[in-house]
Amino acid sequence: MKIRDRSGRGFNIMKGILLAILSVLCVLPFIVIVSGSFTSNQEIIRNGFSLLPRGFTTEAYNTIFETPEDILQAYKMNFYYTAIGTALGLIIITLTAYVISRKEFKYRNKVSFLIYFTTIFGGGMIPWYLMYANVLNLRGTTLAIWFPALITPFLVILMRTFIVGAVPDAVVESAKIDGAGHWRIFWQIVLPVLGPGLATVGLFQALGYWNDWYRSSMFSTSSKTWSLQFYLYDLVNSTQAMRQMAQYANVNTADLPTQSVKLAMSVVATGPILILYPFVQRYFVSGITVGAVKG
Amino acid sequence: MSVAAIRQSNPACRQSVTRHRNIYIAAAASALLLLMLLPVIHWIFLDQTEALFEVMKLKASAIKKLDSSYSIFTFLAFVQDSKQGVLGLWSFILLLIAAAAAVFHIRSLVLFLLRNRTASKKGLLSMYSRLQSGMIFSLLLSAGTMGLVLFANSQYGMAGFRAGVPVYASAVISVIGYLASKRMEREERILCREHGFIEEVRRNWILFLFLVPCFVFFLINNYLPMAGVYFAFTQFNFRDSLFASPFVGFKNFEFLLHSEIVHLTANTILYNLVFIVVGNILQIIFAILISQVANKHLKKTSQTMIFMPYFVSYVILRVLVFNMFEYDVGLINNFMTSIGRTKIDFYNTPSYWPWIITLFYLWKNIGYGMVVYLATITGISSEYYEAAQIDGANIYQQIRYITVPLLKPTFIILLLYALGGIMKGQFELFYQLVGNNGTLFSTTDIFDTYVYRITTTQPLSMGLGTAAGLFQSLFGFIVIILTNFFIKRKNPEYALF
Repeated sequence: MKIRDRSGRGFNIMKGILLAILSVLCVLPFIVIVSGSFTSNQEIIRNGFSLLPRGFTTEAYNTIFETPEDILQAYKMNFYYTAIGTALGLIIITLTAYVISRKEFKYRNKVSFLIYFTTIFGGGMIPWYLMYANVLNLRGTTLAIWFPALITPFLVILMRTFIVGAVPDAVVESAKIDGAGHWRIFWQIVLPVLGPGLATVGLFQALGYWNDWYRSSMFSTSSKTWSLQFYLYDLVNSTQAMRQMAQYANVNTADLPTQSVKLAMSVVATGPILILYPFVQRYFVSGITVGAVKG
Repeated sequence: MSVAAIRQSNPACRQSVTRHRNIYIAAAASALLLLMLLPVIHWIFLDQTEALFEVMKLKASAIKKLDSSYSIFTFLAFVQDSKQGVLGLWSFILLLIAAAAAVFHIRSLVLFLLRNRTASKKGLLSMYSRLQSGMIFSLLLSAGTMGLVLFANSQYGMAGFRAGVPVYASAVISVIGYLASKRMEREERILCREHGFIEEVRRNWILFLFLVPCFVFFLINNYLPMAGVYFAFTQFNFRDSLFASPFVGFKNFEFLLHSEIVHLTANTILYNLVFIVVGNILQIIFAILISQVANKHLKKTSQTMIFMPYFVSYVILRVLVFNMFEYDVGLINNFMTSIGRTKIDFYNTPSYWPWIITLFYLWKNIGYGMVVYLATITGISSEYYEAAQIDGANIYQQIRYITVPLLKPTFIILLLYALGGIMKGQFELFYQLVGNNGTLFSTTDIFDTYVYRITTTQPLSMGLGTAAGLFQSLFGFIVIILTNFFIKRKNPEYALF
């Protein structure tokens, strides 16, 4: 029952143009990075960055994997943090979300508020740091890098809202009448229908861990425990610093990581998480449902 | 529901005992405890002051400022004047407990005076829970004060401190008040058929079990560190250990007030407001546009492309921005040279950066918010649109009168969540794009970057950093509480909590 009128056609054209522009703008920087990583460094210094690679070469990637120990170590740590943080976090978030979604649980609003409260008030960065570094003495351990991000309050509320929508009260009630306890209800009735919610929350959780550099910068005492992003950060930072020094002292800059190597590193560091996205995408629209703190 | 209707629906509660002797005992205890919290009542007494001050190695000029007895509220002044940082955290916590006790006593007394009017579906249960909380805090305060005295005496190896009569009196009164209130509560629970905490744990113990990991996490990661706001009132240094740095009162806040606070607050709030307003408008527009795309593949592809920047880490964003705006080889300056214009020195010109930061914030976040709004649009029944089409509404009218109004609840919720973090910046975004480039701070410094910078570069400014963090936290907290309060009054449906 489409009404074919002038305004409809105008809208269609405008819609197409706007979406095309935004889509291109969103992807353009990726193209710059990827094409830069396949350009030779001399070419970049001579002619600057460009959209399409001039003179295709894999020299930057060869440089990275010539001495692969450091980057492989960072990769390994990143997979470790992401795996443990996503798995554990997802379990805890789902259990918590289930509890605060149950209407018969008397303190559900109080618990939700206590969780939400941590996002609007806190001791700040320094007491948080001192807690892990000086009170619990976790500096230098891997625990200090994955533990502090296990639960994101917003993801708990997202999951709670999803459970409320996906599991009708009547289903839980009838299961109860049949004699099922909360343990069975959770594992056999609720969990099987949480697919989209788990996929969405899991992706956000994994993304947070994969892209983290902050906790490595705070709690690492050796480069052995660095996450991938902090390894990259350190590389970029030290290059910039050394280049500045080189201007004053007559240092040979030929050995420094080149522009194209930095870009190749960026490609290598983003790849895996971007590959995950298409698998999860179809759950996305149904998985993201925002609700209020109190349910 | 009106009060009368509530009572009708739960007739047993109507008869809830509002004139029993125990109620008066509990209320009197509450009032007495409140009186004893007044600053004129002194809780801590100093004995053998000469010997004590010698152990503390105090100079005559410092001794002149000191008294021989203190209330809970003035004891911190003693800590500050006598420079005894060791006692600081303990007395700070006592002060917080005293404040909590006062709040609960006042609230329960108000409920007590209005008890005949406010008895609701749950009878007077809320009054009893307030009364008991007040009693518990008062008892904690007494125990804490005795603990402080013991701790201080062992610290200096002499009996220099003594807990006064009010400490013991408070302990006794709070126990009596607690028992009286508990007794009444039990009767009331039976009358109103409302079960208490222990019964709830017995019934739903497995739900409590499910909550344990979450509880442990937030305790370690959020709630215990809150006690660390104490450092905002100290001249923090690692030499004196964590809990013995000198207590300096509001000195850190005064310093902030005179130097950075205004421009940090302005920067942080302005950036966030622009992010929220522009971000939401664009997200809504593109969510509506993408929802109108009929071709499934096209829809999916553009959605994927727009969401992709969300996956880029801030470190990579830094590389990207550097490649675009760098002076010698940057993409933009490269383009400028090729069309025969002069190069722009972005990394030394602060005025460009608000635009660059906002641009990349939007670039990264449009896709996420767009999907959130898209989820809401997908949930709108197609019947609305069909009916509108039959009535002859064109596409703009359909969007204006159906889609946009139905997006309002989602918008308000996202807005409230965003307002809750209005004093928090996108730390990673700002830090990675600007880094330690001092020339750009005038337009790019926000609270989070300021705190991070001063504490990582000057180890002695930890107290100052904590003070800035506390100000930031309190300010943001008040903003969201007030906003939520007004929204709740206007339309409870839209309130966040």
